[in-house]
Amino acid sequence: MQIEQLSAAELVKRIGTGELTAAQCTDHFLGKIRDKNDDNGAFLAQCDEQAADAAKQIDASIAAGKSPGPLAGLPVAVKDGICTAGITTTAGSKMLSEFVPPYDATIVSRLKDAGAIVIGKTNMDEFAMGSSNENSAFHPAKNPWNHDHVPGGSSGGSATAVAAAMAPVAIGSDTGGSIRQPASFCGITGLKPTYGRVSRYGLIAFASSLDQIGPMTRSAEDCALVMQTLAGHDKNDSTSAPVDVADYMAALEKPLSGLKVGICKQHFEEGLGEEVRASVNDAIDVLKTLGASTVEIELPYTQYGIAAYYVIAPCEASSNLSRFDGVRYTNRAAAENLEEMYSKTRAEFFGEEVKKRIMLGTHALSSGYYDAYYLKASKVRRMIKNDYDKAFESVDLILGPTVPTTAFKFNQHAADPLAMYLADIYTVAANLSGVPAISIPCGFDSAGLPVGLQLQARRFDEATLLQAAHQYQTQTDWHQRSPQS
Amino acid sequence: MSNLAQNVAKLARIDLPDDKAEAVQEDLEKVLKYVQQLEALELPEDIEPFFGAIESVNAIRTDEAQPSYPREEILSNAPDSDGQFYKVPSVFEQS
Repeated sequence: MQIEQLSAAELVKRIGTGELTAAQCTDHFLGKIRDKNDDNGAFLAQCDEQAADAAKQIDASIAAGKSPGPLAGLPVAVKDGICTAGITTTAGSKMLSEFVPPYDATIVSRLKDAGAIVIGKTNMDEFAMGSSNENSAFHPAKNPWNHDHVPGGSSGGSATAVAAAMAPVAIGSDTGGSIRQPASFCGITGLKPTYGRVSRYGLIAFASSLDQIGPMTRSAEDCALVMQTLAGHDKNDSTSAPVDVADYMAALEKPLSGLKVGICKQHFEEGLGEEVRASVNDAIDVLKTLGASTVEIELPYTQYGIAAYYVIAPCEASSNLSRFDGVRYTNRAAAENLEEMYSKTRAEFFGEEVKKRIMLGTHALSSGYYDAYYLKASKVRRMIKNDYDKAFESVDLILGPTVPTTAFKFNQHAADPLAMYLADIYTVAANLSGVPAISIPCGFDSAGLPVGLQLQARRFDEATLLQAAHQYQTQTDWHQRSPQS
Repeated sequence: MSNLAQNVAKLARIDLPDDKAEAVQEDLEKVLKYVQQLEALELPEDIEPFFGAIESVNAIRTDEAQPSYPREEILSNAPDSDGQFYKVPSVFEQS
């Protein structure tokens, strides 16, 4: 069996026993990146030297009989919006084209401490604003199942990297669907943890009350393995929660009998593609044969999720991105005075979508508009959270499609940005309410593009998400299929 | 809302040339029109806004001095510095 076909768990096991060295494994995936990146653009940077050095150290410590860590030798691709010490971190923006962080994000330190090896930085929509990767300031990543189609976004490079077997595991971030939507489009497993479950220290902030970091892998089992390292309180992130971390790997094997799965009728109304609907319905049947029962539920206010999101996220972004003003971060436009330096720098180095969202947020927060926009959207957000709280009184999981369609073509939504925003219609509510959610592959459409199934759970109940996803994957092989490219 | 784009661009410190303002304005109006559906939405009167996905109390840690990152490393990312401080164009014009 080829190295890239092995699961993350199997790679770690083989490296631990010496059957495979960390150096061989790292070399293999670095070679894949070199072979494929010109075609699919998944990576913005490849970390050959750092990765080779780290692999050598892992191999030496294993040879010396030391405990190698739960992810020893596992190559990981990290989204380029997450800081890596000494490795250029651009967030997909020209604004940060030369930015070299002086420190590692907490999740990068945790991965390294567990023995994982960062092999590269993945492509993304600029500052995580986008659902197609077309907003990357450098070049878009392409969907490995069909290069005419987008990989989704904003963590599109991470999804492409895993689907094209350039990395066994990637890290993404999710503000309105940015892990789950590309996972759905590329046929992989992607988990957005509960808000507060994973530290965001070192994540270049987009919308701080919504952003979460999470794993993107081929299977739920690999997702659980990586999540065990990512999860936990961090004193450097005051929003990270001091809540105990469950044993995710142990949870996988529990049977689903007695599990109550909520089916939200709003997720199956107008706008849902028929082939997506059929695949999701088949998945419901599989979960039923595993012992789960279904309950019809309502989340009436989630229909306002996109509208609330496009007030709240731009407001927070307009504040977070004010730090990019030509003073501290690498790029500055020529100017006569300070005021001109700010406005020319921001005009020159931000892309159009980023500028648009900053302006939307600035407008919504400007004098006289606060009540109508931000306050009202935050009240709607409360209603959405209340919907979830009520639903989770009677169910353990909520099931539905991740995205209404399969991956769309490049430029398909160029004329109508709102149509692209609606790609996140089923995913934003988890960010607004803070609950964890996972997307797993559940079929293919007639064009051969993957369909994603979304499961959502109570706050801090990632274990049940992973359990249900894993049990589903013991009965199906969608997650084991690989694209030709 | 005719000068919306130009006013907001000025507030956001984003230079917006006149010939681009109209297109930006149209783009902004499309999204604003969509989100304005919230204005008409009637909610229970006593509903409190929800600003953060966890409603935690202040997370306060012990106030202990710790080494910071070396000044040199931080300033190495600056577009312009004198080795001690960030350098920027004149803040005040000379009279």
